[in-house]
Amino acid sequence: MASVVGGASGSGRKKSLDAEINLVSFIDLLSMCICFLLMTAVWLEVGSLQVKQSHGTDAAPSSSQSQELTLKVVSATQADLVLKQGGRILQKASLKSDSLVTLAKQIDQNVASWNRGSVISAAMIETTSAVSYGDLVQVMDSLRRNQVVNLGVVPASRESAMGSVR
Amino acid sequence: MNIKAQNLGDRSFSRHLVARQFMKSKRKRMMIMGLMLTSMVDMFSLLVIFLLQTFSASPELSVVAKGVTLPQSITSREMKDAPVLAISSAGIYLDQKFIGLTEDLLDQPEPLMNRLSELREIWQKSHPKENFPGEITVQADQGISSAVVSRFMGMLPSQAFGSIQLAVIGAGGKG
Repeated sequence: MASVVGGASGSGRKKSLDAEINLVSFIDLLSMCICFLLMTAVWLEVGSLQVKQSHGTDAAPSSSQSQELTLKVVSATQADLVLKQGGRILQKASLKSDSLVTLAKQIDQNVASWNRGSVISAAMIETTSAVSYGDLVQVMDSLRRNQVVNLGVVPASRESAMGSVR
Repeated sequence: MNIKAQNLGDRSFSRHLVARQFMKSKRKRMMIMGLMLTSMVDMFSLLVIFLLQTFSASPELSVVAKGVTLPQSITSREMKDAPVLAISSAGIYLDQKFIGLTEDLLDQPEPLMNRLSELREIWQKSHPKENFPGEITVQADQGISSAVVSRFMGMLPSQAFGSIQLAVIGAGGKG
């Protein structure tokens, strides 16, 4: 028990410093806080991947110094990578694997070796109807991991899109 | 039972009752004393701190459309407020309003274009001095063909919606 003996007057009276908190109202307050926070909690947070759709817009053309990556995802196990600068092909790779996970790793490795110093300014991704949207997002993920953030998607032809719905 | 009852005299029985009452009251008192308020308050405080840390101040902008399972991404960012275009194999929804069947809209996209144009005009009327940002959120089912999604994404810039955010589930459920 904390207490103080004596005072300025030296009367020798003991004055208790113990202050009691009203626990009931404190618990009420905490319970209300918990209820509010539990009700407003977002357990499944939706994020976003930014895509600049330059096709059909007045987007500024890339300068001749910047490098542009074109990634054609043929299927979940096959992809072609082409790195261009001012229309000139700098690097080219044709990737094949047994699953999308290993394909994404291969894309990762290639882009990481080509993008030393973050020279790739943008990437255009082209897919076929055999590639699902989930696979496309995974491929985008592997590009964004390597600081290629300006991503665009080449629109599929009407026939290709119609064929995949039917 | 009868033998025991006979053995107990009046005095011993009353003593027994008093002892039982005493034990009862003692037990009751012990139960009240057994509730450790300090540890309960500690637990509540920890719970409040945890919930405050996981509390997201940004509004939950998008209600995921029915029949749409969003893909997961590890490089996702916070979502901005924008109209939501939901693409599923069943149909196309713009801001939770049914626009048409996917197949029909791929063939004849006019209803979607008209609705996008309306949204742009509404925005421009409400923000007369600002440039139209052209932001739109695309919610697509992860199982749908990427050709369908990219086809719709290709249509959006014609109505000045060039900045597209693809709705994804952040790694570990966090965006």
